[in-house]
Amino acid sequence: MSDLPHGAQVLHEEQSGDFSTKLMRINVGPVHPATHGVLRLVVDLDGETVMGVAPRIGYLHTGFEKTMENRTWQQVVTYTNRMDYAHALGHDLAYVLAAEKLLDARVPERAQRVRVLLTELNRIASHLLGLGTGLLDMGALTPFFYTMRERDKILDILEMVSGVRMNYGYFRVGGLSRDLPEGFEAKVQAFIDEFPARLEEYLAMFADNPIWVNRVRGAGVVTRDTALEVGLTGPSARASGVNYDVRKAAPYSGYEDYDFEVPMAEEGDAEQRFAVRAREMEQSLRIVQQALVRLEPGPIKDPDRRISLPERHELETSMEAVIFHFKLVTEGFHPPMGEVYVPTESARGELGYYLVSDGGSMPYRVKVRTPSLVNVQAIEPASIGGTFADMVVNIATMDPVMGDVDK
Amino acid sequence: MSAAERLLQDAVTMLEADLGGERGERHGDVHVTLDKETVREAVRRLRAAGFELLADVMAIDWSAYPGHEGARFTVVYNLASIDPVTRIFLRVNVGDGEEVPSITPQWKAAGFMEREVYDLFGIPFAGHPDLRKLVTPDDLEGHPLRKDFPLGETPTLFNDGRFLDPATFRAGMLGSDTGRTGWVGGARKGVRSEQGREAAERELTEGSDA
Repeated sequence: MSDLPHGAQVLHEEQSGDFSTKLMRINVGPVHPATHGVLRLVVDLDGETVMGVAPRIGYLHTGFEKTMENRTWQQVVTYTNRMDYAHALGHDLAYVLAAEKLLDARVPERAQRVRVLLTELNRIASHLLGLGTGLLDMGALTPFFYTMRERDKILDILEMVSGVRMNYGYFRVGGLSRDLPEGFEAKVQAFIDEFPARLEEYLAMFADNPIWVNRVRGAGVVTRDTALEVGLTGPSARASGVNYDVRKAAPYSGYEDYDFEVPMAEEGDAEQRFAVRAREMEQSLRIVQQALVRLEPGPIKDPDRRISLPERHELETSMEAVIFHFKLVTEGFHPPMGEVYVPTESARGELGYYLVSDGGSMPYRVKVRTPSLVNVQAIEPASIGGTFADMVVNIATMDPVMGDVDK
Repeated sequence: MSAAERLLQDAVTMLEADLGGERGERHGDVHVTLDKETVREAVRRLRAAGFELLADVMAIDWSAYPGHEGARFTVVYNLASIDPVTRIFLRVNVGDGEEVPSITPQWKAAGFMEREVYDLFGIPFAGHPDLRKLVTPDDLEGHPLRKDFPLGETPTLFNDGRFLDPATFRAGMLGSDTGRTGWVGGARKGVRSEQGREAAERELTEGSDA
């Protein structure tokens, strides 16, 4: 018994009588498909029952907050969307809103509506990715291809608008970087017409499927109290009965003008976490539809010369425009001293930028309240007492994005 | 007065009267400055009063802030009430090396948040059940979000005397010299450091080892 290879331990101490087992501590990740990136978990197992989960994070720590302190206020937009790459525009929106509050900027109506429209489209894309990869973790390969197909259509729209399929960086402090391209409305309308039928197809594929229901119903239950104890927010918390959606609670960017509902559930299990996300896509689509109808031509950035770049054609005729352009590009604007926090609802929960300005051209301190960092704390209470395979379901349904966790 | 305003008003009155809090306002948000000894009690009472969500625990290093006097750090607690919707910020001023009582024993949500502050600012939280680094490598010395922590093109020191020097690092990327990283690249030409140029010239005249 003593010469087992590779330091393997004998787990069953007593060979006769009742099975008495030691806890087995195993390592999951950081590179493992079921951990959605580089999440490492140290799991204590009793047989197949999970007795403890300790997330170890930091494998994707990039030091964004430090970098942002050394970039001008406008340059920060380049970094914000690299955190939560699945719902990138949510981060962009949260940052520009906070900076605009600091500057007291007046964002034109059209810019606000475009922001809401694109952020909601991006939210649908993010949920599609979450659902597809989540089902993939459970061994359902086919839905992944379907959800990625729909997500691709959204990425086509976002590429049309911003030029890239990831890390859009389309929003600017004070408005948008440029106006929408021609043909945008038609493309979004085509998506709106097509998507509800597709969503129904997905839901038929898993929500009513007895194999799926048996797998997830009652798995990984997070009660309302536990959700609040660990600070869970977003769709995962709403599946546990925490009625908190910042879009409704503290509307920003004109969300109070849109008619939509916040899907809720009480059970708090993996099935409901999936279902809430699925129903949230329907609501996001409603917002997209309303925003599209209300899109009217108009200015897309704050006319204040101290914040927004002058129009390109002005540079050829106005010396003053050249001066402002030069100052904004080399140095940027100087928000007054102060501290500000604006909470927003990202696809994963409450997302807010706490900005401190010392009156300089670069932020003095940027603190990002990322939802995923707090939400990974909920994996442990959800998984304890369940099987190891259910833990994978819990990670999938909490849907953390590791860039959002590690920053 | 709406229910949210009343809840917030009651909370501020309670903090001022019982715990010596000092009310302030920043861009419409209510901030209450407290002594660090009272923060646990304050958080406990606010939670009981209906602030159900601990949104964040963060820190600010004031050491480079123009005209700042007083303690070097401020730890900010961000608490939200879900119904009615309102938000309150608690502020605790701490000097360099001082400990702050941890609120993790009362509120698990603070676990990762306090560890992050400890890791990036070096503010220890007394009574935290598992106070370890959270995101930076285990052997990185220093606390990156402190204002005196160097950025970018400066050697990064690790605690066993090993350090990464940018020039050597880039020379290593070139492929002729493994540098400190052990990385043999070769694909990234055009690096403009002194060692890099020498290595590139050597490679041009003598040919690559490989």
